[in-house]
Amino acid sequence: MNKSLLALALTLGLGSLAGVHAATPAPAINDAQIAHIAYTAGVIDVTAAKQALQKSHSADVRAFAEEMARDHAAVNDQALALAKKLGVTPADNATSQSLAKGAAAEQKKLAALSGAAYDKAYADNEVAFHKAVLTALDGTLIPSTQNAELKSLLETGSKLFHSHEMHAEHLAQSLK
Amino acid sequence: MLRTMILLVAVLAFAGGFMPAVAADTAATAPGRRVHVILVDKMAYGPMPTGVRAGDIIEWANHDILEHSATARDGRFDVDLKPGASAHITATAGTLAFFCKFHPTMTGSVVVK
Ligand SMILES: [Cu+2]
Repeated sequence: MNKSLLALALTLGLGSLAGVHAATPAPAINDAQIAHIAYTAGVIDVTAAKQALQKSHSADVRAFAEEMARDHAAVNDQALALAKKLGVTPADNATSQSLAKGAAAEQKKLAALSGAAYDKAYADNEVAFHKAVLTALDGTLIPSTQNAELKSLLETGSKLFHSHEMHAEHLAQSLK
Repeated sequence: MLRTMILLVAVLAFAGGFMPAVAADTAATAPGRRVHVILVDKMAYGPMPTGVRAGDIIEWANHDILEHSATARDGRFDVDLKPGASAHITATAGTLAFFCKFHPTMTGSVVVK
């Protein structure tokens, strides 16, 4: 997971650099793709949260997972409503696919764990996941977004990821 | 005179009938008590009210798509704010420092005289 997330951050970083050097600074990535990536990131965290609610017996871990599921579902509902309003169909792309692939592998790893080992691995992964998505959101996705409403939603999303990351770090530390 | 009395009775009955439903808001608008609204949106508390006096009402109005809370650092209050919901407390003297228990990056503080 961490490796593929790093690859994601690097890919997006290089994408934005390429944009700067191009004669016409057209973004390397369009709003329909950005919406798809953000939506995919939300779905990944909701899926991970559902797994945590099935596996964990820790009250703290479960409360955290419930928050992740609730918050990311709310942002994704809003993203879908916005896409519909703007007549944009979120477009699948290499970044979304790499995110989904990495998450599926991580979920498989987590599925094999249980008890305290699972709780710890889930919390650590949540820290890494939120950090990686933040790098992409703040470094590439938000600066590349053309539509003001989508940009505003992604900015709220960024604040949310920052808060979740902080919460995940507290959780991971408490499980040490 | 009679007409005035009937009118008065009607007004009182009307007010009495409606009182329970709006009891909280009626209390808030009692003379001398002011209502200070803190807007919650886009993962942040809006500007903090100033000139708040003990006994005033502090209300949080959550316009965000996310659930938040206003939780006192010292445990004095803990109000849950579902999306679109409002909640209030009666201000007590001191500095009311609060945060969102779900989103620790959200903080605020109101000085109450
Ligand atoms: Cu919050």
